[in-house]
Amino acid sequence: MSTMTEPTTVAGPAGDGAQRPDEAAGAVENRHAWVLVMNREIVVRALNKSFVISLLVTIAIIAGLSAFMAWQATRTEAFTVAVAPADQVAVTAVEAAAAVGADADPEVTVTLVDVADEAAARAALEDGSADAWLHPSGDGWTLAAMGEPDSTLVRLLSTSVSESVIAANAAEAGTTMGALAAGSELQTDQLDGSGIGAQTAFFAGYALAFLFLMGAVGSGQMIASSVVEEKQSRLVEILATRVPLRHLLAGKILGNSVIAVGQNVLLASVGLIGLSFTPIAGLLPVLSTSLLWFIAFFLVGFVAVAAMYAVCGALASRLEDLGSTTTPVMMLMMLIFFVTFTAEGVFQQVLSYVPLASIVSMPVRVLSGDAAWWEPVVSLTILAAFAALAVVVCERAYRGALMQTGGRVTWRRALTAQA
Amino acid sequence: MTSTYAADLEVRNLTRKFGDVRAVDDVSFTAPSGLLTGFVGGNGAGKTTTMRMIMGVLAITGGEVRFGGDPITAGDRRNFGYMPEERGLYPKQPVLDQLVYLARLAGIGARAARTEVLEQLDRLGLADRAKDHVEKLSLGNQQRVQIIAALTGKPRALILDEPFSGLDPAAVDGMVDMLREHTARGIPVLFSSHQLDLVERLCERLVVLKAGQVVVSGEPAELQRAGRVRHRLVVGADAGWVRGVPGVHAVDVDGPVALLELPDDATAQRVLALALERDVVHEFTPVRPTLAQIYREVTA
Repeated sequence: MSTMTEPTTVAGPAGDGAQRPDEAAGAVENRHAWVLVMNREIVVRALNKSFVISLLVTIAIIAGLSAFMAWQATRTEAFTVAVAPADQVAVTAVEAAAAVGADADPEVTVTLVDVADEAAARAALEDGSADAWLHPSGDGWTLAAMGEPDSTLVRLLSTSVSESVIAANAAEAGTTMGALAAGSELQTDQLDGSGIGAQTAFFAGYALAFLFLMGAVGSGQMIASSVVEEKQSRLVEILATRVPLRHLLAGKILGNSVIAVGQNVLLASVGLIGLSFTPIAGLLPVLSTSLLWFIAFFLVGFVAVAAMYAVCGALASRLEDLGSTTTPVMMLMMLIFFVTFTAEGVFQQVLSYVPLASIVSMPVRVLSGDAAWWEPVVSLTILAAFAALAVVVCERAYRGALMQTGGRVTWRRALTAQA
Repeated sequence: MTSTYAADLEVRNLTRKFGDVRAVDDVSFTAPSGLLTGFVGGNGAGKTTTMRMIMGVLAITGGEVRFGGDPITAGDRRNFGYMPEERGLYPKQPVLDQLVYLARLAGIGARAARTEVLEQLDRLGLADRAKDHVEKLSLGNQQRVQIIAALTGKPRALILDEPFSGLDPAAVDGMVDMLREHTARGIPVLFSSHQLDLVERLCERLVVLKAGQVVVSGEPAELQRAGRVRHRLVVGADAGWVRGVPGVHAVDVDGPVALLELPDDATAQRVLALALERDVVHEFTPVRPTLAQIYREVTA
């Protein structure tokens, strides 16, 4: 295997050995070339219109979602329930619901409105003076409304109606509700104190998986197209005479990593700032810790993703080939996205150590408080080792494929190629 | 970087195999410093493969490239100006930015690179296009930008694959002037071309390649002298008698006009004396073959 910049002299009178010292000297002079390549990648990318627009749109979506959540939280939910005063059970149930509702969320109020009969109730519903009508029907109770009754109200009332009916039944049977229900309550107790509910953890996991997918695929595709652009135009022949290809690859990986990580830091910050205006603002410290881990994992893991995408670019001969050469890596990214945000339990624990999947899974475990302090450190070390290996393998494939033109190159041919 | 760096570029027994095919087979020649060397050959003769091996873009199967008497290094190549066969630049980057970038990759400082690129753009009439994206330029102008990319930074040698293709005659002349400035600095310039008339007009040295092998190399004048010189004889009456003169090969006789192949100068003088004895002589001139004829002969 020879390199592009240091051709092997097989049968020459002054063989390979004679060339080495000078080759090395040339490489030393060039040791900052990767910085130039990196800077170009960053500038070109940052000035790319479609990149800037999609970033702004994403920021707007995140900000909009946060604003919606904040508005939703401050909105007063007031319900007026029409009840015939004669239905004692219903009156008790609505009063109980009002108490429970106010207890759970001060913005929820349930008010009772007396209606004489069905006609009055219908009129109240129609003119909007009542949101729902609670009345006996057959052997049970019915909550009627114009359209579907509000789910919050249904939740509050179904508990209070059943309690109120049971209490009435108990009195009839000569006992009390308290005696019947004694000892039946299930207490919950959270022993590891992160205070994150399963639902919050799920959504945080989804958000991280989404950030991963967007950053990895978005920036990955940019690397692939920047590589094939140079290959297709044969610009790479000029570049290869001036810079070791290793530097070219390193500059591309680092430049696009800066963009990808910067983009994720920006989006995560917008998300956190947005969350600070919502009811779960109290979770910010633990969310921030998890996000910092995510950024660290992403930073390391993206290097591997970037290296793979660079090879995808080198395997293509023309821009049109990119679709097919990037498919395997794209599938891998999608798989990681779906698997990581749906994973639970032991599977999630395993994933949190599997390179690339760990970028999402370990921060999620940190968030739900189920990871010991050393676990992310170990997982990050494994990820770093994987990234290093990926770069070594991909660098070889990149060099092998870059100078081969005429159709798609396979990974096997790229890895075994002689320049 | 020295502006008067003088070093010959030597190719010794260079060979490249693609599978079992020897695309370049034991090719040796020298592109001397300070001279324009033309690299000529048909399609698939191995010109591009040889140039890519010189530039280190393609691995060498056998033989070596030497520069200034030593095996060529990556450091040497970094200071070469190279124009690949298929032209390419970043289509969506402004002209100035990418020329400065390419110059900086060759180790030139940011400010020096910018100054020199701006000068070159101005010289080729592209100063007002400096901020345009390359894809917006005409093909001819893209070619000019490519030339600037190769010439920036006082290269120590120029390896140009078909630099004149696609240029109009005025642009060719402008480019030739630029190349002469570089040979005047004492660097070797090797360029390939299909346009033999151009090569004949420009080159101090010529290398003709056929099926991966060098068939002829040397100075064009030397090649022409080495080619078979013929004489044209025009007399007053029929020139058929020349067929009977010993040592003379009459290539063609048409009435009073004859085209003769004469082995040496003494024979020529003898033929002229005989002609003058018989008749008036209107014309007796040596006919030197054009480079195109030599090329056809050697590559036939």
